Amino acid sequence: MARRSASERELAVHRQLMRFGEAESLATPMWEQRGTTVAAIEAQLARLWDVQSQTTSEGDQLVTEKGLPHARASVLNLIVTAANAETADRVVQTLLSLGIRHPSRAIVLVADHRAAGDPLDVRISTHCNTGGMDQICYEEVVLTVRGDKAEHLAGIVAPLLIHDLPTFTWWPGDPPFRDPVFDQLVELSDRLIVDSSDFGDLLAGLRRLAAIERRSGIGDLAWERLGPWQERIAQFFDAPRFRRYLPNLNRLIVRYAVPAMGSRRTRHAGVDAGLHTHLAPMAQPTLLAGWLAARLGWRRNRTLDPLLDGSMRLRLEGRHEMVDLRIQAEPTDQLPAGELTSVRLRSYGETGAAEFIIDRTGDEAVVATNADGMTALLRRITMEVPREAELLSQQLIDDQADPVYEAALHAATGFLAAARTEEAPALPVSPAQELGG
Amino acid sequence: MTREAGPTVEARPARAPAESGNGSPTEVPNPLRQGLRLERMPAPCTMVIIGATGDLTRRKLGPALYNLMLGGFLPPEFTVVGFARREMSDAEFRDHLREGIDAYSRNKPVKRSIWDSFSQGIEYHRGEFHEPASYKELAARLERIDRDRGTSGNRLFYLAVPPVLYPEIVKQLGMAGLAASGEARGDARRGWSRVIVEKPFGSDLSSARKLNREIREVFGEDQIFRIDHYLGKETVQNLAVFRFGNGLFEPIWNRRYIDSVQITVAETVGVEERGEFYDQTGALRDIVQNHGLQLMATFGMEPPVEFKAEDLRDEKLKVLRAVKPMSTSEVVQNTVRGQYVSGWVEGTKVHAYRDEPEVNPASQTETYVALKLAVDSWRWAGVPVYLRTGKAMPTRATEIAVQFKRAPLALFARAGMPQIDPNILAIRIQPDEGILLRFGAKVPGQGLNIRSVNMDFRYGASFAVDSPDAYETLLLDCMIGDASLFTRDDEVERAWEIIDPILRAWESGEGGPLHFYGAGTWGPPAADELLERDGRAWRKP
Repeated sequence: MARRSASERELAVHRQLMRFGEAESLATPMWEQRGTTVAAIEAQLARLWDVQSQTTSEGDQLVTEKGLPHARASVLNLIVTAANAETADRVVQTLLSLGIRHPSRAIVLVADHRAAGDPLDVRISTHCNTGGMDQICYEEVVLTVRGDKAEHLAGIVAPLLIHDLPTFTWWPGDPPFRDPVFDQLVELSDRLIVDSSDFGDLLAGLRRLAAIERRSGIGDLAWERLGPWQERIAQFFDAPRFRRYLPNLNRLIVRYAVPAMGSRRTRHAGVDAGLHTHLAPMAQPTLLAGWLAARLGWRRNRTLDPLLDGSMRLRLEGRHEMVDLRIQAEPTDQLPAGELTSVRLRSYGETGAAEFIIDRTGDEAVVATNADGMTALLRRITMEVPREAELLSQQLIDDQADPVYEAALHAATGFLAAARTEEAPALPVSPAQELGG
Repeated sequence: MTREAGPTVEARPARAPAESGNGSPTEVPNPLRQGLRLERMPAPCTMVIIGATGDLTRRKLGPALYNLMLGGFLPPEFTVVGFARREMSDAEFRDHLREGIDAYSRNKPVKRSIWDSFSQGIEYHRGEFHEPASYKELAARLERIDRDRGTSGNRLFYLAVPPVLYPEIVKQLGMAGLAASGEARGDARRGWSRVIVEKPFGSDLSSARKLNREIREVFGEDQIFRIDHYLGKETVQNLAVFRFGNGLFEPIWNRRYIDSVQITVAETVGVEERGEFYDQTGALRDIVQNHGLQLMATFGMEPPVEFKAEDLRDEKLKVLRAVKPMSTSEVVQNTVRGQYVSGWVEGTKVHAYRDEPEVNPASQTETYVALKLAVDSWRWAGVPVYLRTGKAMPTRATEIAVQFKRAPLALFARAGMPQIDPNILAIRIQPDEGILLRFGAKVPGQGLNIRSVNMDFRYGASFAVDSPDAYETLLLDCMIGDASLFTRDDEVERAWEIIDPILRAWESGEGGPLHFYGAGTWGPPAADELLERDGRAWRKP
């Protein structure tokens, strides 16, 4: 599909927003201005909710205890970049489906420094969503920035944030890590949220992430997707009698979905299949392996099979055993590319081998433990592919740097670097040291 | 980009810490748990629901367990044994639970394949509550489950039966050797044994003492979990975080700045299908003795040394101990009891209480209580606590409202102009949990007109995170061994010591008359007079 022109792209965003307006009913009329100024937008934001305050027949302001016209607690600002048409569509889609978990003010940036026309267009809408008994209101500011101004986004955004609130930046798609605009916006925010599944160059992207430090840390939707897997894996070893297998793990096989031959299905409907390189969907399996390695103090030993067609095999050095790490691509149309399909851990304990298995088919998984010579404990659980909005809303709740993620990121970077034949390992990887054991 | 000197990163703020969530404290913790969202995982255990065919199991326990399982909070070994008299197969019992989940769970309908897998760990045990043989068989069954499913000897007994049966069942559990936990048996690997009992805990001081004594003959106090589902509503933690997590409020949380406190637990419903039970109980026993006094204790307690079960309960007990039981003349002065007559609530006609099914047509039972309590502690001496609860009220609301003292000088009061209203801080617990601060502000324009304005914060409008059902929280806490949200024996008994004199005075007829109020009103006029005497008025929450 050819890239759409700037005006087509704007139209698409606008249509999405209008659809939103119908579905959720605007709390105040939409305010739209072409060729506007930051000062004018600021003024509009300040009087945004005035329309709502009610007055009595005598002209007094009405003050009630319940159902205040603008009862609203502010929690955070969210800056979202929509660097191209595809991500712009996705951003709007996701924000729409955030349901009741909205940030207090979302600023969506559609920037194109090559485009001609009015340098700054704005569309402000306010939405109230009744979730249960409470009404949650939020403001959405869509800015279209063209020409030189697009290279100085931070200066445009900063005055429009609700002051004294944490500011998160969500950068969907493949962030331009080398672009100064990226640095500006990251500098402005307390937390950066990305999705490493979308990185064009996963290794470079993970390396760059590892170098960024914000007060509230880095959020990675690919990591968020691993949450249920981590819970289930940890659960294997909650029972004391199985915990003793943990130091003796000697094999980890992580399988993940890649599109079956001839399939055009990709992770995000409407996104060009060509957007992802063959490496990109490896974010989840690599981070999961990095997580286990970092938690259990496995160090990289050597590469057994270099990265080929999305699969790789490394030898790691565990506390007591050498660990055989295999990441394998599994062609399937059952699951979006990059989603995990199976995690299998094997260990030698006092009484023989033990195996801990999670195998996923569709939105369910079978969890099995085969140890102590006991009959396998089999359990069927739900393992749904979470919607992007759910992942994002969870990331909006977290506001602390996550040392566990950072350690996993570090280890994953090392694995990828080692497995990629075209370059020598650039980072000395010793996740155990990084974690202090 | 430079590295910022941000706040040091620590583990997510945990609730009262689990004592042995992952096995015994001496075990090496599971390294994979660090930093995960679910840091509190109960050890594998079997939950025995005694009285499993009743309404509580169908409406509350089944759905709570199912939701906990869906959320991944239960270990794979977790097993349920339903114990009741009715003849039933395992399959029928599973269907019984599933129907309840389909009807009452916040996640419904049941997902077939998930349920099929979960329900393999659900069994039914038929037996008589008074027959030792039934418990012997139960013990054998639990041994087998330990072997087959790896539940490590951890047992949780939930008494979902009327309180009159508690002593017998507890005695039988003890005789069958089911009550002793591993430590007590000299075998730490044999796991724990805990019992959950529902309110009411007795109907007066002596019956509560007797019940506590009978249960404690078999179970240690640290094994007994008295459930008060009100405390599972996140209220305790929110209130504690508000008070002790903010530097702003605690310094003014005392008699120097606070004028009075109003605690309201208002329900719009009448007695519904509980007529017989309610007519023997009344609002004082049903609400004030447990929820009402617990709210007051949480509001008024000193900062605990640590946010842990024993410390919290010690501090709450101190507040209750500072409330002196009333003499008969004080009961007349400081209490008002009422009963609703017919009226309209939320647009619906409501019959008089005495016309409700299974209610004595000449009933003297109170459906409304207003109390003026004095907490004679260093912090609260001279600050009256007005506590009221009622059925068939105009709105459903539970709140604690703090009225602050007025400014020392009425600087803005002009001749003929009323004084500025005092500042109010209201902590709303339900329906919409939140905090409201009321203060005076100048009306813009020439002249100096002052009006009260509200600063209103709602948890739901800010976080919009689904709160788990109270039973989910409480069941999980019990499995983990965290008793913060459960009531201790001495708290229960002290609460009865406060309530008993009022009950006795009312029953003897010397404690003041029973007043009547129309359904859909805020109680009898006598309750308003209780505050008017002190120059105050009830809030309309």
